Amino acid sequence: MSAARTLAWDWYPGTIPENVVVDETAYVETTFSFALYRSRQPRGVVIGRGASTYLGTMFDAGPNARIRIGDYALIHGARLICDAEIEIGDYALISWNVVLMDTYRVPLNVAERRKELERVAQRRPRMFDGDVAAKPIRIGRNVWIGFDVCVLPGVTIGEGAVVGARSVVMEDVPAYAVVAGNPAQTIRMLERPGEAAP
Amino acid sequence: MAANDSILDPWRADALPANVRVGANTVIGGTYAFKRFRSKRELALVIGSHCTLDGTHFAVGEEGRVEIGDFCYLTNVVLLCEEALQIGNYVVIGWNATIADTDFHPLGAAERIADAVACSPLGKGQARPAILRRPVIIEDDVWIGPNATILKGVRIGAGAFVEAGALVTRDVPPGVRVVGNPAQVLEEGGSR
Repeated sequence: MSAARTLAWDWYPGTIPENVVVDETAYVETTFSFALYRSRQPRGVVIGRGASTYLGTMFDAGPNARIRIGDYALIHGARLICDAEIEIGDYALISWNVVLMDTYRVPLNVAERRKELERVAQRRPRMFDGDVAAKPIRIGRNVWIGFDVCVLPGVTIGEGAVVGARSVVMEDVPAYAVVAGNPAQTIRMLERPGEAAP
Repeated sequence: MAANDSILDPWRADALPANVRVGANTVIGGTYAFKRFRSKRELALVIGSHCTLDGTHFAVGEEGRVEIGDFCYLTNVVLLCEEALQIGNYVVIGWNATIADTDFHPLGAAERIADAVACSPLGKGQARPAILRRPVIIEDDVWIGPNATILKGVRIGAGAFVEAGALVTRDVPPGVRVVGNPAQVLEEGGSR
């Protein structure tokens, strides 16, 4: 990472925000991933050793968002809609068009939602203010998430689990489960590895 | 068409198709908004006031007509319209949701061959076979999550809550929450 926090290979004329920590061995394909980033936390995003985030990954992160991407995690184009906390474990593999959302962003109550939509129409930029209760998402170590999957607020996916393409995960997923479907259900269990990966 | 100073880059008023009408304080962003906008209707797209349409893709066929109310917020939504899409007021639609009022191609095998030929570079001027299409109506105060899909002929009742990733093939009653593929009512109280 250069001092100017730009990326030599970038097509987008952006920078890595100051409160984003990228390990020197990590790969960020483009700063466009931060075009919607507005976290004011001391460490809004932490990207671990050997981790990579490719084109299509968007850190749609509100003022209170904290996102941690573990070592060797590979994010191939997920949208992280975060107003509280999203944690992605080491060695996680996350495919394209995946939505990880820890918040619905707008009030569920219709009258309150109308007020927020009236307020947002007067804002620059037109972002929701992140005042809606968010519930952290935790993606365990060694989890594999297929394309087009949605993970809803408050969900924890246990270590080593696999989430099939196009699944919508509404409830916690046990460690080493294979889940699929909309809504997602456990379809089988994987063998646990004898020893932890190096 | 009156000039409209509310449109931000890159879709300034003078860059909008002539048959598009946009209300005050509505913002349309995204490079591809009108790349597949082919409607020949006199008034093909009517958007109300105070809307935010970020990266919304208006793929509207020659006979298509889209209406969007006031105070709507759409993020990278794909609207595929050959006949009619009606979106009410205070509607929120999440990232990468798709709404289509058409089947795109005929169901019957022989008709599909005829359609493939008509759509091919060799089919210039050939009429396409009849294709099922039915208007989609999304009433006021509906919330539709990211990656959701709404198919032809569906009416989503006022205040309904369509969960992220849901695939909606049937009408949704007002005020309920639907989830899944196909989408089913999970509980009463989408509007709460």
